[in-house]
Amino acid sequence: MLLQQLINGLTLGAVYTLIALSFSLVMGILGILNIAIAELFMLAGFIGISALMAGLPFPLALAAGIAGATITSIVIKFVAYDPVRSSPVITPLLTTLGCSIIIQNVVVNYWGSNPLQLPFEFLGERLRYGPISIGSMQILVMATSVASVAVLGFMIQRTRIGRGLRAAAENRDVARLLGVSADRLTIVAFALSGVLAGIAGVLIGMHYAAITPYVGVETGLKAIAVMVVGGVTRIWGALLAGPLIGIIEVMTIAYGGSQIRDLVVYGLMILILLIRPQGLLGGRSSDTGQRV
Amino acid sequence: MTQSILKGIAVGALALAAAAAAAPSAMAQDGRQIRIGAIVPSSGPFAEWGRTNTVTLKMLEDKINAAGGVNGAKLEIVIYDDATKPAQAANSLRKLAGDDNVLAVAGPLTSSACEVTFPVANQMEIVAMSQASSKPGVAANNRPWAFRNTVDEAILAKASVPYLAETFDVKDIAVIYDAKDAVSTAIATKIMPGILKEHGVEVLNDGDFLSFNTGELDVSAQVTKIISLDPDAIVIGADYSEAITVLREMRRQGFVKPVIGGTPLISSAILHAAPDIPIIAPATFYASMDEPRAKEFVAELQPLLKETSGLPESIEPSMYDANIYENVSMFIEAVEKAGVTGNPDDLAADRTKIRDYITNLKGFEGLGGPISFNKDGDAEKAFFIVRGEGEKWTTVVHGCSSQGGDC
Repeated sequence: MLLQQLINGLTLGAVYTLIALSFSLVMGILGILNIAIAELFMLAGFIGISALMAGLPFPLALAAGIAGATITSIVIKFVAYDPVRSSPVITPLLTTLGCSIIIQNVVVNYWGSNPLQLPFEFLGERLRYGPISIGSMQILVMATSVASVAVLGFMIQRTRIGRGLRAAAENRDVARLLGVSADRLTIVAFALSGVLAGIAGVLIGMHYAAITPYVGVETGLKAIAVMVVGGVTRIWGALLAGPLIGIIEVMTIAYGGSQIRDLVVYGLMILILLIRPQGLLGGRSSDTGQRV
Repeated sequence: MTQSILKGIAVGALALAAAAAAAPSAMAQDGRQIRIGAIVPSSGPFAEWGRTNTVTLKMLEDKINAAGGVNGAKLEIVIYDDATKPAQAANSLRKLAGDDNVLAVAGPLTSSACEVTFPVANQMEIVAMSQASSKPGVAANNRPWAFRNTVDEAILAKASVPYLAETFDVKDIAVIYDAKDAVSTAIATKIMPGILKEHGVEVLNDGDFLSFNTGELDVSAQVTKIISLDPDAIVIGADYSEAITVLREMRRQGFVKPVIGGTPLISSAILHAAPDIPIIAPATFYASMDEPRAKEFVAELQPLLKETSGLPESIEPSMYDANIYENVSMFIEAVEKAGVTGNPDDLAADRTKIRDYITNLKGFEGLGGPISFNKDGDAEKAFFIVRGEGEKWTTVVHGCSSQGGDC
């Protein structure tokens, strides 16, 4: 059971990592917690599963989910971030919370509150190695999680857009003097977080062969814990903290008692915040980007 | 001059036409109104149930008014959405009783909401009758104004457990439940373990029941742990939408064993989750049941549900649609037969008459058979233990919740 639970924990951790990356991008660059990301991935899951059920191939379903989440994320930027960008940090938190409730309501009104289930055959084949088994979607979710961190890391460190994002995060005024368009980069940050949430949503939907309108809150909160534990400003932190939280959660269920797993996960988050406020891989405490 | 006369005639004709269009279709209504309230979850996790409840009540309202109303008075059903939130349900009841002056209230739906709302009904002295709550003792703790047109899960489990144990030769079982749902927790951790032990079935994780939270998609760790226990069957304490997650994970990990649960499992959606896993659950109504009144109800309601936006294409009338239809039908019968005037000055007396009528009601013709109420305020009615497999429900046991077993 131990090995199987490790695989379960790694898969769950990969799910958290994908969503934590989306949170981390906006938080690290703009300094705001965009709560609506929790519902963006849920929305992408519904769009992706609907596309698959309509007979579209997986790449198109993935593209549809990503497009839905990205467009919605950009809309959120214009309606819930831009008008309050000069307000205290709590204000964009509340406006994005409002957006998350609206997204959930729209999904319930359009798709209903029942889980949207892919046909039985989508549950997929499992590869068995003695007492353990792993599904092909589990492997895909884990691989995508690692690849997303790598691509995002490369983009932030090596590309012109990434340098602009880092410059804007470091000091908006100096970045502007150097010719960086903060407005354009804000759109890029929201769009990228939408892309990541979209990938996460469609893959999670396919992995479980189902999605519900209420998955955002539970999974989103754990992803925020992953972001905090890993270090808000370090995207590589999510790759470490995701599997760590996933494995701790799964092992608590298996050997400690399922009723106390949230206590353990969030307790760990508080403990790490007390000992190392910048997270496991975070830099100096002052190394948090300013809001663009 | 002629022009202005013609204009006046035209305006008058238009006004008459508008008035005719606005008039209710009821023929015998004399300006009086009989107001009944309803609390349903049209948003939130059970939105499907709340929305189909709403369509059901509108259908009943139209039908009664088209037939001349209630004792010549127009029936108006005032419906509020509680979003499956207990506090919102209690506030809705206060508004229905205090502002809308309804005679009685159908709802709320969940046991969690009833636990908060029934005390308010007692305080405001108005009948509240749930269409779905089945956690033991919820109405009994709030007499004399609280009623439930449902059967206590403990009574139902006494019929479903022996069927499961005998049919599948179950010697041991494991339990998993949704820790955030009151009735699911009661079914899985209190009701089922005791009855299973009475029938010689060992509960392998007794005292260490596995749980998950409403809305969680990943229950892989819980299912892996269940598999390691190697039980003959599984108790799932959850409503159907959450149970689907567990069934899908069981199927994904290749664990095909029978599942037993309470009435919240009943839905058409759960049948598609893992069609090869047998599901045993109790019901007082299901859409494909073979009873004349039930068939008529389904034939009438199904097309209306299909026309309603925001409901899935595969939607069918649920047990809770049947129950809320019966709830309001019982209120209407009480109004007609207990001398309820509907006069605002008689509101308190009218509410008491309805309460007394329901308390003493015997043999009301429900959709699945006659309905009475026991001293706890719970319905005594026919029930069925059904088996879901191959994407359909089949009745495997007929039962009756009355003490004498006469339904």
